[in-house]
Amino acid sequence: MTLWTVVRFLHVLSAMLWVGGQLTVSLVVLPLARRRLAADQRGTMLSAIGRRFGHFTIAFFLPVQITTGVALAWHKGVTWASLAEPGYGRILAAKLALFCVVMVAATMHGIVVSRGRPTLARVLAVTSLVTSLGVVLLATALPAT
Amino acid sequence: MTSTDVRIGTDPHTPPEPPRRRASWHARANAVVLAWLALTAAAMAAGDHLPVAPWLAIHVFLLGAVTNAIVTWTEHFATALLRLPAPARWWPVARLAALNAGIAAVLLGAAAGYPAVAVGGAVVVVGVVAGHTAVLIKQARRALGGRFAYLVNWYTCSGIALVVGGTLGGLLVSGVLPGVWEERLTAAHAHTNLFGWVGLTVLGTLFTLWPTVLRTRIVDGVAGPARRALPLAVAGLTLAVAGLAAGLRWAAAAGVVLYAAAAVLALVPFVRTARQRRPHNGAAWMLAAGVGWFVAALAADAAIVATRPPEEIAGAVEPLLPLLLAGFIGQVLIGALTFLLPVVLGGGPAALKRTAALLEQGWKTRTAAVNAALPLIALPVPTWAQQAAWAVLLTALAAFVVLAPVAILRSRGRELTPSPTAIGLALGGVLTALAVGVAGSGFGAPAETGAAIGETRTVDVVLGDMVIDPGVIDVEPGTELVLQVSNSDTQPHDLRLANGAHTPRLGPGESATLEAGVVTEPMEGWCTLMGHRAAGMEMRIDVDGSSGADTAEGTDHGDHQAHDTAPLNLSGEMSPDWRPYDAELRPAPGGTEHEIEITATEVEQEVAPGVHQPVWTFNGTAPGPVLRGEVGDVFTVTFTNDGTMGHGLDFHAGALAPDRPMRTIEPGQSLTYQFRAEQAGAWLYHCSTPPMLQHIGNGMYGAVIVDPPDLEPVDREYVLVQGELYLGEPGSEAQVDAMRAAAPDAWMFNGTAAGYDHAPLTATPGERVRIWVVAAGPTSGTSFHIVGAQFDTVYKEGAYLLRPDDDGGAQALDLAPAQGGFVETVFPEAGTYPFVDHDMRHAENGAHGIFQVKEN
Repeated sequence: MTLWTVVRFLHVLSAMLWVGGQLTVSLVVLPLARRRLAADQRGTMLSAIGRRFGHFTIAFFLPVQITTGVALAWHKGVTWASLAEPGYGRILAAKLALFCVVMVAATMHGIVVSRGRPTLARVLAVTSLVTSLGVVLLATALPAT
Repeated sequence: MTSTDVRIGTDPHTPPEPPRRRASWHARANAVVLAWLALTAAAMAAGDHLPVAPWLAIHVFLLGAVTNAIVTWTEHFATALLRLPAPARWWPVARLAALNAGIAAVLLGAAAGYPAVAVGGAVVVVGVVAGHTAVLIKQARRALGGRFAYLVNWYTCSGIALVVGGTLGGLLVSGVLPGVWEERLTAAHAHTNLFGWVGLTVLGTLFTLWPTVLRTRIVDGVAGPARRALPLAVAGLTLAVAGLAAGLRWAAAAGVVLYAAAAVLALVPFVRTARQRRPHNGAAWMLAAGVGWFVAALAADAAIVATRPPEEIAGAVEPLLPLLLAGFIGQVLIGALTFLLPVVLGGGPAALKRTAALLEQGWKTRTAAVNAALPLIALPVPTWAQQAAWAVLLTALAAFVVLAPVAILRSRGRELTPSPTAIGLALGGVLTALAVGVAGSGFGAPAETGAAIGETRTVDVVLGDMVIDPGVIDVEPGTELVLQVSNSDTQPHDLRLANGAHTPRLGPGESATLEAGVVTEPMEGWCTLMGHRAAGMEMRIDVDGSSGADTAEGTDHGDHQAHDTAPLNLSGEMSPDWRPYDAELRPAPGGTEHEIEITATEVEQEVAPGVHQPVWTFNGTAPGPVLRGEVGDVFTVTFTNDGTMGHGLDFHAGALAPDRPMRTIEPGQSLTYQFRAEQAGAWLYHCSTPPMLQHIGNGMYGAVIVDPPDLEPVDREYVLVQGELYLGEPGSEAQVDAMRAAAPDAWMFNGTAAGYDHAPLTATPGERVRIWVVAAGPTSGTSFHIVGAQFDTVYKEGAYLLRPDDDGGAQALDLAPAQGGFVETVFPEAGTYPFVDHDMRHAENGAHGIFQVKEN
């Protein structure tokens, strides 16, 4: 139990909240909202959830994830050059790239929702969710030592 | 006015079957074609990860997609244009099932390594196409003929081509063909199927399909070229294929040129039609581009066939395959389907228009992408550009595989409106798969499964003047090691690791990244340029804490050093698992042609009692296999280099220009070395790669026995190849120094010093025994003598020095390095007769064995 344990805990916790939050909205909230709520109520409710989630992302998730991630990489001795090397470096690089995809998809989702294009918004939401699971998969593929 | 309007599939005079049924049949038959196309894309995307990689992708495409399409559509065109009666209802379905079962058997059998299954599949495919062709001929005879009668002739010839080409393919995949035939028949097989089965079908179909696609009338005078071109094309193709198979270069080249001329003649109406009505839709442009690549590939093929020896053609035409397969066949197939699918799927003018619009979606981008990517693939451009071109090509062709099933499903009344969730899942899945692919890439050497993958370490390695710096790299077990290799010397070097990972050859100042993979055990590295390793360009990767592996390696080295210093104990015992090299010489196998496979390998051999030494061998033993034949026999040797450095062959038994057959081939390569044994004798063969001192000194030699015409039969025959033993790491400085000083550690008969002391040769008194002797050197000859026996026959270097009815006798056969001969003797009584090289330095240092002569 060192300081690094705490840093890693924060990194995993924040990721868990974000991915778990998305999964909960998609798999629990959305289907129930579709069934139980009237259309206008549903719209207000879902956009409120979306806004709240956006705030959480900007105010908590991204700062924590980036700070702890950079710190962990520094602790691990990762350099820009080592990101290209096969093994740990390349897995991490792929994970970072996929994370950027997740963020782009999530941001575009927000924009598209506000412009009233529900189909495209849905596509982007699912893309973001699936790719964020991909980030978790790559995180678990990183060698532990 | 002889211009005519042709409408394929919408002819009002041919409603012998309800359109619904026909549309349903076409939906199914073409779904099969599309499935094979999708598999082709998958096989190409998988690249080298599949077994028999390029072969599999090529055959999934040609045998799966193209052959299915040809069979389905030739029947369609023949029945529609010639107003043939429809075949029996069950026939197309049974044919489709049998054909695809056969194709699957060919592909799976070859990929999984069951040649019998693949051959069975080839038989089925050939049988189905033969049946299909026979049905076409039979139907056409019943029909009245008419303006399009030539069509069935083209289809008949193309069907016959597949029967021939498929039979050749079956022979090839069976693996029973000797090496030299394989190359030639591969070329013949490819030409028959590509230019016969596919080429003739396409040319024959274009006469009517092309004007239909352009929605214009057939130009005047099509029938002439259509009738005249076919016999020319068939004659050309027959000549080409026969020439390729028989190894007659000029016949083959003339055949390809004749075929090309026939193709040009057949394309005259094609060009005239295009001038009458310019191509204006996707289908037409794809067909036009496809035909363009066909002509280009034909010209290139003619040039290759004319300038290369027959056994190299199969390899030399490989770069043309993308042009033919993707450029010609792929584009023609997709172009034709783009036009034909809407027509046969039907559903009224509105539906037809909608399907056509769907299939033509993005055709300009797709066609441009395909035709821009193809030159990049064919030309020698950097690897990344080539890979990018492949990706573009594959995506452009695969787009059709996505569009067409949607069209088919729509025509069957199923609307495809994928839910946003499904699109999101697919998009996310693809992106994740891409990221996982990137993450998993770059594991150069296959990492041992289960080995813990630790940190990645990068080490700078400098190749200098005959030195590698650092000489030793210590890593933790499981480390993913990456070497940043640079050449600081004024001459080229490279670095190869024992696990097979290696850099390209680096010129002065060049550098490269060498991914060594996960290191779990110690490993050596060296420069593969000849002589550089011996001069000191070696390094080691040591694993910390893996005591087991380290100790084993350590004692091994200790062993070698002990042998280097201590004299050999030749009276010691051989290891229990030692087997002597079989000195008994068998009679020449019958026949005048001998096919031999020789593989260069680097193995360990017990070279003296209890002493194991790495040796370089032909077929795993030093000396290599004994070849025997009679004067005039032809030996065809297929030589494969399975070692870690360049090797070659030099047979003294044949006279030929050394340039090609004796060339050095790199690991993994093969060559064919054919010679006629015009002169009798006991001939040496050896590795032809310099420095030969090292290659022969490390075991790469053997004997070829060519019997003199009057050779009398004897009771026993033995062969002894005398060589020298240099202990130590092959190619190491110490070993090479000993070779240069002509100071072997021992002398050997048949690869083991004093071996036949421990496994005596046998004879009975009164028997006539013939002993063939070849001196391999590399530095010393022999003076072969049997203690207690006299020779009454001596044959040396092609001539008898002594015959039994001569008065005198002989005591020794003297041979300089690379000479050979035989002696004959009759042992007078039972006993133990040592045989030696009577140079006593040699005899007392290993060139020693025993004849145990016993009464029966």
